[in-house]
Amino acid sequence: MQSFGKNHSKMVRAQFLFARVLLPLAVWAGISCFSRPALADGDVTLRETAQKLAERVSTIPGLHGVLRLEWHPDANWSEGESARWQEVLRGEFEKRTLSLTEDAGAPALDVFAAETPTQVVLTAKTRISERDEVRIVAVTRSLLPSGLPPVAPVRLGRQMIYQSADRILDASSLGNSEDEGLAILLYRNFEIVVLRVDLKSAVKETVSLHPANVKPSRDPRAELTMRGSSVWVLLPDRVCEFSWGAPGEVKCRAEKPPPADKFDWRGQTLLTSPCDGSSWKLLNSGSEPNAREVLQVVPDGVMQETSAAVLSEFPGPIVGTNGERNPSSALVIARNLRTGNYEIYKITLACGN
Amino acid sequence: MRFTKLRWLAATSAAVVALACIGAQAAPPRYGGTLHVKLRVASVSLDPREWTPGSLPAAASEKLASLVYDRLFTLDDHAKFQPALATDWSHDTSGRIWQFKLRSGVRLSDGSLLTSADVVASLQSSLGKTFEVSAAENGVAIRAAHPAPDLLERLASGAHFIVRREAGGALLGTGPFFVVESIAAAPSEANPTAIKPAKIKFQANEGSWSGRPFVDFVEVTLGEPPLRQLLDLQVGKADIAEIAPDLVRKGRQEGLRIWNSAPQTLVALRFDDAFDTPASDQLRKALWLALDRDTMANVLLQREAQPADSLLPQWLSGYAFLFESPMNLQRARELRAAFPAGAPGATQPLRLRVDAPGDLYKLMGERVAVNARQANLMVQAALPPASASSSPALAPGLHLIAWHYDSLSPQAELEAFVKQLLGGAELPANTTDPEQLFAQERRLLEDRHILPLVLLPEYAGVRANVHNWNASPWGDWRLADVWLDSEDPMTTKTPARPQKNSFTARSPGARP
Repeated sequence: MQSFGKNHSKMVRAQFLFARVLLPLAVWAGISCFSRPALADGDVTLRETAQKLAERVSTIPGLHGVLRLEWHPDANWSEGESARWQEVLRGEFEKRTLSLTEDAGAPALDVFAAETPTQVVLTAKTRISERDEVRIVAVTRSLLPSGLPPVAPVRLGRQMIYQSADRILDASSLGNSEDEGLAILLYRNFEIVVLRVDLKSAVKETVSLHPANVKPSRDPRAELTMRGSSVWVLLPDRVCEFSWGAPGEVKCRAEKPPPADKFDWRGQTLLTSPCDGSSWKLLNSGSEPNAREVLQVVPDGVMQETSAAVLSEFPGPIVGTNGERNPSSALVIARNLRTGNYEIYKITLACGN
Repeated sequence: MRFTKLRWLAATSAAVVALACIGAQAAPPRYGGTLHVKLRVASVSLDPREWTPGSLPAAASEKLASLVYDRLFTLDDHAKFQPALATDWSHDTSGRIWQFKLRSGVRLSDGSLLTSADVVASLQSSLGKTFEVSAAENGVAIRAAHPAPDLLERLASGAHFIVRREAGGALLGTGPFFVVESIAAAPSEANPTAIKPAKIKFQANEGSWSGRPFVDFVEVTLGEPPLRQLLDLQVGKADIAEIAPDLVRKGRQEGLRIWNSAPQTLVALRFDDAFDTPASDQLRKALWLALDRDTMANVLLQREAQPADSLLPQWLSGYAFLFESPMNLQRARELRAAFPAGAPGATQPLRLRVDAPGDLYKLMGERVAVNARQANLMVQAALPPASASSSPALAPGLHLIAWHYDSLSPQAELEAFVKQLLGGAELPANTTDPEQLFAQERRLLEDRHILPLVLLPEYAGVRANVHNWNASPWGDWRLADVWLDSEDPMTTKTPARPQKNSFTARSPGARP
């Protein structure tokens, strides 16, 4: 009985090991080995388009033997975008038993890609017994993944450095030294207030613009600028100035014509890549008050939607950005939709993917 | 029925990013001023029903119509349809039944509300009988006789503007401008032998649903000679002016900022129906082989044009590079030698009528005659007769035509081309498949009733004081987004900006 008990307990242990450890491991391994990562809709569309072309090509009468794939991408495509299409097309051709080779002596299968205002047109052309065979498919451009593939020579680091239940209007770093902290402009109890905080978020100084007759406003536009020891606050109808250490001496003057018509606000926030010195700009809309917002950091000179874009999602709308002393960093102010707080993030470009 | 919420979201995002980019420009935008525009055509019509598809006057008319009318949506430069008078759209799986939700509260230039009946009437007129347009809940529904997956491309271009027709014939739109003045061409008072060109003045629509345009007025002068337009740009009498392709080099040499579109105009030869016989095949083929398109594009047009081998341009079809028109004089001469005695082009000259207006096209006609002569073909170029009652004996056999691409749908463009130039023949339904469209175009080219010559982009000189010039590659100038950086001396006499919503002060008629 004992021996039976020992054997039984071995069996139980073995069953336990199989059921609880090996089986899940095998299932996991199977899933890992044979499944592919979930494809975005755009990727599926791209693959379906390539499949459609490959199917049409495979039905060309008399097409057999080894072919040399000659790829002619649209002139406006990035290398990454072109390479992605080529890779998928090659895969789809090979799935349909079309043998491809790099041999220059093999008959050519030319595949051209061209963008029209709304479509990508793929054309395959090959020559069979003195006649040209052409197969064409098209796909709606807007259904394809934007910015293929999402590869950038930089990555984005992000760190939240301050948050407040009050509405933060703007923020600016103080000086070159890491321990000099931030100046924060916020709207508190119908007053515009400037805070000086250290790196531990401790408030070191509070300056209200109310004594300088700055009235409450629903206009959210306000900007902080550091000029030496002076702090400048640009509002839609006036400019205020004071120095740290002398908070009672806030001076404000009306601007004529009012800045609201001058559009004289801060320009695009730019970052400098520490890798190659290239300029990158921040793109955000800030116009949808109830949606999480994705900040796009794109090479300067690109309007939108580029394969090189670096994306960072914030917990709510981005209400402002400002450059830092360090040219590869910037401050981003966002409203957290879950908590209602306003949050200041420091974002930094770094090399590599 | 699949509602395209994502498309709406994407469109909104793109618009917001575009606005953000506009806001981030270094120079602040400025409201006010008069934008002076010069166009080559002598007359335009703001009634889309009067436009002849593919004609150069229709293209200029469409450009001006976009100031006073809107479409259901527009196509941006990133292949996305942006909502305009329609805020959302959906279609069934076959692409036959479409529904469009209309923007609410949009007003016409007389202050009245745009209705779905206005939209139904406009689109039924512009789309024709193969589409049935009806009012639907909060919008309109379009039912196509055949699947129409390219309906959005069709509706975002061409004559598909939303226009209200008043009982008296006046036309109203919802666009960013409205017509305040229209002066027909007339003899000059100072010099009766000279003609004062026609002018149309557009005023900013303060209540425009899409936002007030930056400039107060757009003043358009029509029909001035190309060299005069260039001079006007140089001396500041024009802010934006069309530039003839043969003057582009001169303009560049003189430091003008010159914009060009993708190729918009096909210059081609068209044989009359009389040449629709098997016996004429050899003539058509011989002339096709004799044409030296490269010289026309590179020498005559100073590299400001492209040799054309297809009916549709590459930017529109995506497959035009597959067509070739190799010049082969030897083969052309061999074909000519086999002509029967008395055949047109052999012993009796083939008359080539230059239907397209302007000296440039006349020169091209003469060049065709030279090419034909090199292949021992007799072609005689002639301008169109002054009156329509010309003698039948003078009827031409060949025409030099200019076809302006109007549609963003390659199928719609080819349909219009065939209907207008090839005797009303119709394309088979469902040629939206690019391979079928290619086969159809190849068949048309192999018939050689139309021989493409060159493709011309549209050129415009834009003065440095014009900002935010962001014309589309297919020739939409987007003048409502343009602003002027300083008060031009010519604009100091313009009246002050009208009061908001002063609809009663406006002339409702949009017909110039």
